[in-house]
Amino acid sequence: MAAAAKRNESGEQPIPRRQFLGWISGVGIVGSAIAGVFSSLVFLKPRATYGQPNRFSIGRPEEFPPGARMAIDAKRVCIVREGNKVAAISTTCTHLGCIVAPSETGFQCPCHGSQFDVDGNVTGGPAPKALSWYQVSLTPSGELEVDKDNEIQTGTYLSV
Amino acid sequence: MSKETSTKWKALVDLPSNVWRSIFRNPLPSSDRGRAATSFTNFFLHIQPVRVSRQALRPSYTMGLGLISFFLFAILTVTGVLLMFYYVPSTGQAYDRMLDLRSSVAFGIILRNMHRWAAHAMVATVFLHMCRVFLTGSYKPPREFNWVLGVALFLLTLLSSFTGYLLPWDQLAFWAITVGTSIAGYAPFIGKELKFILLGDANVGQEALLRFYVLHVVVLPAVLTIFVAVHFWRIRKDGGLAKPEPEPAKLTPAVEVTVTEAVPALVPVAAAAAAAPARKFTIQGLVRGPLIKVGKLEEDTVFSWPNLLIAELVVLLVTIAGVMAVSLFFNAPLEQPVNVMHPPNPAKAPWYFLGLQEQVSYSAFWGGIGIPGIELLLLLLVPYIDRGKQGVGRWFARERILANSVFLLFVFVNIVLIAIGTFFRGANWQFVSPF
Repeated sequence: MAAAAKRNESGEQPIPRRQFLGWISGVGIVGSAIAGVFSSLVFLKPRATYGQPNRFSIGRPEEFPPGARMAIDAKRVCIVREGNKVAAISTTCTHLGCIVAPSETGFQCPCHGSQFDVDGNVTGGPAPKALSWYQVSLTPSGELEVDKDNEIQTGTYLSV
Repeated sequence: MSKETSTKWKALVDLPSNVWRSIFRNPLPSSDRGRAATSFTNFFLHIQPVRVSRQALRPSYTMGLGLISFFLFAILTVTGVLLMFYYVPSTGQAYDRMLDLRSSVAFGIILRNMHRWAAHAMVATVFLHMCRVFLTGSYKPPREFNWVLGVALFLLTLLSSFTGYLLPWDQLAFWAITVGTSIAGYAPFIGKELKFILLGDANVGQEALLRFYVLHVVVLPAVLTIFVAVHFWRIRKDGGLAKPEPEPAKLTPAVEVTVTEAVPALVPVAAAAAAAPARKFTIQGLVRGPLIKVGKLEEDTVFSWPNLLIAELVVLLVTIAGVMAVSLFFNAPLEQPVNVMHPPNPAKAPWYFLGLQEQVSYSAFWGGIGIPGIELLLLLLVPYIDRGKQGVGRWFARERILANSVFLLFVFVNIVLIAIGTFFRGANWQFVSPF
């Protein structure tokens, strides 16, 4: 306030009122437009989804005999058991989201020909990274539970 | 008493012609003044210029591709609205509704066929229209921005087609959209969010179907319509279709004004025309910009009524006839209902995206985002990069041999990629020979 008054005294032009109001209006209109677009995007991004839960039970450990590699396509995971170690590997191709199928050498994608080894590491095709491994835990009721929100290091097993 | 009766009787007798004249201000024109008046007193005709250059009417110059694209869009709108009366965007019902269109809805098959084939055709004609505009150098000033709008329209056409692809909810639809939206997921920074907002969920499902439906039937057509309107408006404001620069004419007086007398404001134009057929007007107004062409005006242009209208009508009829004929003989494909667990092998996108899918099989980012992004940027910037003024309005002008060659090279590469993706790729996207 004091500075503004001083400048007036020194003879410099203050910002004209009309220009100031025009500037403020412009900021207000553009700001509202940006806020409108942004809030529309927030609106469009669902907070809750209606699809499958990302955390689900897959049954008791006995259902997966040692050496088993069982792909559960509906859940898009492959349950692997070696001895008494269990892991869940994603069967969603890291390339473009197709479902990979277990093969003798690991996994094979039908869409663009990506190939993975038994641990899900890329051995061929356009896939940019290895298949995810998901956290597997044992619930108090003795069932295996896969948490797809929780990706873990390749080669991390749960002992059962 | 009798005079009153006769007035009423006359009003009754004149009723049809009075109604007709209240709707159409002009009788069918018989003079040049009338032809001009007809063009600018009718809402639908005033979109067009009163006079149009002969070059713009020559089929070998434009091949009518822009107009065909527009008419295909009109066909798509009409058939699409009709299909909406029976379609339900629900994963439980959508596929059954496709079967109902085949079995129990009157004219259901032909409407669905027309919608599908017109959509494929529109992608092709919009692209060919773009090729025509490029190869005739028609994007040069002052038409740079209309070219940019055209590129946007091409993208909107692709997006409309892509969103419509999901709606039958068959295997083809589901896996094409799974692959397509995964490509969007590779966009830098915003990719993951973009994919999630587009699908409304982590995977393609009910939310995605509803979102694609809304985009397909409301958002994209509305945006497309606005862009088409601006595109058409700009054609006129940029001086009509591109034509070669006329030979530098001998310096003549700029504008010959022989306006002798102003028409009283309240007299209808047609009546004035009839009253004073000999009166000659040479300018109707002064507009800044590239609109006013003086000099060889008379020889190079003809009246839009009826020359342009007849040409447009012929293109419309040929377009409708073509779509109808194809729809009578070929049914729109419908595969098995969605099975989330079994992707078809190979899972292929619609043909116009197979070039993209082929690129994607080498590298998801470069094939799906990087190279298409660069190509799009180049397309948008073409009129601002190529500033040469030569060779406008002629096919394959010698002066434009470099620009045309580069463009045709891009077109050729993309067509080869599409051909490879369509015919030479089998299970697991392995190379197979179709022969």
